[in-house]
Amino acid sequence: MSDLVVDGLVAGYGDVRVLHGVSFTVRQGEVCAILGPNGAGKTTLLRALSGMVRTRGTATLGGTELAGRSPDTVARLGVAHVPEGRGTFMPLTVEDNLRLGAFVRRGRAEVEADLERIFTYFPVLKTRLKQEAGSLSGGEQQMLALGRALMLRPRLLLLDEPSLGLAPLVTRELFRIVQAINAEEQTTVVVVEQNAHLALGIAQQAHVLETGRIVLSGTAEDIRADEQVAQSYLGYRV
Amino acid sequence: MAGFLQQIVTGLGAGAIYASLALALVLIYQFTGIVNFAQGELAMFSTYVAWTLVAAGMSFWLALVITLVVSFVGGMLIERVVIRPVEGAPELTIVIVTVGLFIFVNAAAGWIWTFLIKDFPNPFPGGALELGAVTVNFSTLGVLGVVALVMGLLYLLFQHTKIGLGMRAVATNPASARLVGIRVGWTLALGWGLAATVGAVSGVLVAPLLFLEPNMMAGVLIYAFAAATLGGFDSPVGAVVGGLVVGVAETLAGAYVGFIGSDLKIGVPLLIILAVLLLRPQGLFGRAAVERA
Repeated sequence: MSDLVVDGLVAGYGDVRVLHGVSFTVRQGEVCAILGPNGAGKTTLLRALSGMVRTRGTATLGGTELAGRSPDTVARLGVAHVPEGRGTFMPLTVEDNLRLGAFVRRGRAEVEADLERIFTYFPVLKTRLKQEAGSLSGGEQQMLALGRALMLRPRLLLLDEPSLGLAPLVTRELFRIVQAINAEEQTTVVVVEQNAHLALGIAQQAHVLETGRIVLSGTAEDIRADEQVAQSYLGYRV
Repeated sequence: MAGFLQQIVTGLGAGAIYASLALALVLIYQFTGIVNFAQGELAMFSTYVAWTLVAAGMSFWLALVITLVVSFVGGMLIERVVIRPVEGAPELTIVIVTVGLFIFVNAAAGWIWTFLIKDFPNPFPGGALELGAVTVNFSTLGVLGVVALVMGLLYLLFQHTKIGLGMRAVATNPASARLVGIRVGWTLALGWGLAATVGAVSGVLVAPLLFLEPNMMAGVLIYAFAAATLGGFDSPVGAVVGGLVVGVAETLAGAYVGFIGSDLKIGVPLLIILAVLLLRPQGLFGRAAVERA
């Protein structure tokens, strides 16, 4: 089984510690939502998992250690991270961006087949293949970022605020696609999101992060039903 | 009129050499956002390697191939050993390191080969092609052909290979390149290796026209800066077009503008740099930001 097991993960920037020992488990094929206010360490948590920041503690995917490795090594282990700001290669074409997602894979035929598979999720990308990625709209760029991540055939997909800067309608469409991907590919997903309602809609498990610690964990329904939580952390009433 | 065309042909020949060094500058700039002031000196050093091999009795073309390989490895080593420790430091720091490299390589060449000038063999036949009233030396044709070949190979590498795609990804967004699994450190080293190789071509082309000595590339480097500025520091095509334009402009100014003559020709690239920075800072082919938020 390729469960993600995070245990006592500590991370920060220079002398500033942001995560103070975070532990949780995501079972293979599940979607896990990480919620919490600004500055709670949600982005840092994803960065720690993909090797973008220094860490202590462990994070294993199917028994293989991710923590303490470089981002390119983590990617080669099958972890696709769609970072804050989407990580688009702006001056390159949409096609180049997608092919870069499969950079570490071998097997040309499989990659070509996956490209077609991406177009079934995001038909708009096919019509824009030769266009510069920087000329896409925000929603299209987020789709491109997801498509690029899928080209890795990831075992674990890390999504950082996919809704950021997008219109509500576009965001809902995007989450619908993430859900479909998770269902069809059995990809494990960790999604960090400000929009708790949307994230809880597709997640099985959720954790609320505050100032670098997990303050609440549970199933998505539990978290959604907890009125106290809703008011304190999620900023809406049920 | 024939005289004018003749000047243009001469200018293109010189320009092709500036273009090749400008190409090397642009390669490194694209990857690291820094200008490698030592590029000309590395090219000079490579040329000495070629000279040594030829002087030892090797055929020119075999010596060239070995020189290019040595330059490639040398460029990679320099990135790993000299540039790597200051990667991520402020640009000024890195630029100063390349200036230090300039001085070091220059002095090392003088130490190994002395500052006495050396004759460098011209690989191209001595004759010329008569096109009506215009005479085109075979060596000018050769230089233009070699630069066109280098351009073509780089184009193939960048646009049609996976390594090239990875290099373009690193040049545009290194953090994101890492996340898709590209080994960014090695890719940067590869970029330095390529730049050193392209620079070596420029040194080997210019050496038969000037004489081989440790300060041979100083002038060429200034023209290459003008070429890269004119074409746009982030555009390989721009570097080549810029090189050709600078070569022609310099030759025409020397021939037709009375007070410039051959002594003040070196002022032409300065004027070009100044004019471009004032009128179109990103250069002719440079990229003005087009991203949408």
